[in-house]
Amino acid sequence: MFYFLRKIGNSLLLIIGVTLLSFVLMVWFGPDRTFGLLGKNPSQEQIEQVRRQLGYDRPFAERYLDYLGALATLELGYSDSSGEAVRAVLARTIPVTLALVLPGFLLGNLLAIVLAMLAAWHRGRALDRVITGLSVAGMSLSFLVIIIGLQALLCTPYGVNLFPVRGWQVDGFGSYFYYAFVPTLSLVIVSLGYNTRFYRAVFVEEAQREHIRTARAFGASPLTIMTRHVLANSMAPLITRVLFSIPLVIVSGSLLIETYFGIPGVGRTTFEAITNGDQPVLKAVVALTAVSFVVVQLLADFLYRLFDPRIEQAVADGGGAAV
Amino acid sequence: MSASVAAAPAARAFRGIGRDRWGLLGLVIVTIFFLLAAGVWLGWLGQDWARAVGGRWEPAGTEHWFGTNLLGQDIFQRAVYSARTAFEIGLVVALATTVLGAAFGALAGWRAFSWVDDVALWVKGVLDSVPFYLFVAALAYAMQGRAFAMHIAMILTFWTPTARLLRAEVMRLKAQDFVKSAQAIGLPAWRIVLRHVLPNTVHILLVQGTLVFVAAIKTEVILSFLGLGVQDGVSWGLMLAESTQEVIAGHFGNFLAASGFLFTFLLGLNLLSDALQDALDPTMTRRRGRMIKAPA
Repeated sequence: MFYFLRKIGNSLLLIIGVTLLSFVLMVWFGPDRTFGLLGKNPSQEQIEQVRRQLGYDRPFAERYLDYLGALATLELGYSDSSGEAVRAVLARTIPVTLALVLPGFLLGNLLAIVLAMLAAWHRGRALDRVITGLSVAGMSLSFLVIIIGLQALLCTPYGVNLFPVRGWQVDGFGSYFYYAFVPTLSLVIVSLGYNTRFYRAVFVEEAQREHIRTARAFGASPLTIMTRHVLANSMAPLITRVLFSIPLVIVSGSLLIETYFGIPGVGRTTFEAITNGDQPVLKAVVALTAVSFVVVQLLADFLYRLFDPRIEQAVADGGGAAV
Repeated sequence: MSASVAAAPAARAFRGIGRDRWGLLGLVIVTIFFLLAAGVWLGWLGQDWARAVGGRWEPAGTEHWFGTNLLGQDIFQRAVYSARTAFEIGLVVALATTVLGAAFGALAGWRAFSWVDDVALWVKGVLDSVPFYLFVAALAYAMQGRAFAMHIAMILTFWTPTARLLRAEVMRLKAQDFVKSAQAIGLPAWRIVLRHVLPNTVHILLVQGTLVFVAAIKTEVILSFLGLGVQDGVSWGLMLAESTQEVIAGHFGNFLAASGFLFTFLLGLNLLSDALQDALDPTMTRRRGRMIKAPA
């Protein structure tokens, strides 16, 4: 019980930290928005009024608490560039991003687990060397290089020209496949190298334990050993890895992919907010993703305890290190 | 005495890499790129990167090895010059994060479970919870597009894995006899940490440094494409950003040159980093895997 309370307390402190960080960067030190919101030749009263609306005349603590309140109630204000409610923007764009990024994220992990199992089973032999070699090559490819290369190969007449160069007009599974294929493939390739290498390391360590040797002596098949014994006992580092790569792959990945392929998800919205200096959108995205990541970490901690009560020590000193 | 402690990992690294074919290849690649960067820095190579020396989108040939770009600039010269940009970014970020990571990690590890440790953990937790590209975006917004927003963002966030590893290692070393002896003869803590503990963590710092180097170069590419990266000058990231429109029109010079240079250099760094890890600390290598948040 004490453990859970302490974890919840830690998470609250983290939430205060990330919101404070985004508040200080974007609201307190951020550019003055007064004149962006005013027409030409504003009168002194108009200036005063806008500054009061924006809260520029009030102290730091009060404004920070207001900001926390706005986040908690999801009253996120209106976009500077389109005037649309930020909440509506998020409700419209988040499903697109999830539909775009989730298949690639899952495939990137599943394929990596399969390859890592093969490599770990054939440790030191040719297959292992080929897989680890390709992983290192994959880790040396920039995301942008993968995207441009795949686009040239699959979406232009210089390659096979089967898929669209950019865009997102999805109204069914066929069109979804058509528009999501190249982005998904890029996501899989960019994460495959790092993932395979990481999972292989985990599996190799687990496969050296004595209960595995016993299982082999009893004649269990390679598949049974790798799935029932090695994989099942590697769940903690696996879950950590997957959770900690969420902000990396889903958030950062969508930012690049959606900007590149012109897909109307959170990533492109964020990118446009960056280029336009659209503070209400930007601060909502930054604070909400950071806060939800803290919450996910907290849930993960509880999940570990359900999975395996022995885990406390391992998570306590290595939880975040695996990424 | 401390000199020999510090020298030992370096000697081990050289012996280890000498036996490792792939590591040797990595070392050769990194050395070649270092010579390119040094040549640019000394003014011998790539000085014409900004001058229009040909027509628009000239094909590759003996005069322009990768052709010319939209503005008639020689693409090969630009790719060579970018080696300097890559080294500048990689070195600045790797050195700064190593110092930050070593300082925070040593402090937190030496005084583990004290309030100092709690504060360090909290800072790391906060920085790790903000998705990196959003952090850069927030910082760039706050800094109004000033040139070093990219460097500062990378330095502020990339040190956390180093600090985490170092904290654990310093905790382990602190429990060992040589530290206890040093404490017993009354040496001040800062002196024990600086002269006796930190030199024994050089292998971790070196490997983490190469990983951060790789991460910084890969991140620069994406930030430059998003318009948050290199503001003036040229880099492989800017060349790739330029190439995004050209590839659709069938001009591959920028793309092939930048991605070829980038891939070769990153491969060299990755091979070297692996070899260093194997040579310096074989027990750690395959156990934990890589401990860097690798940007996409």
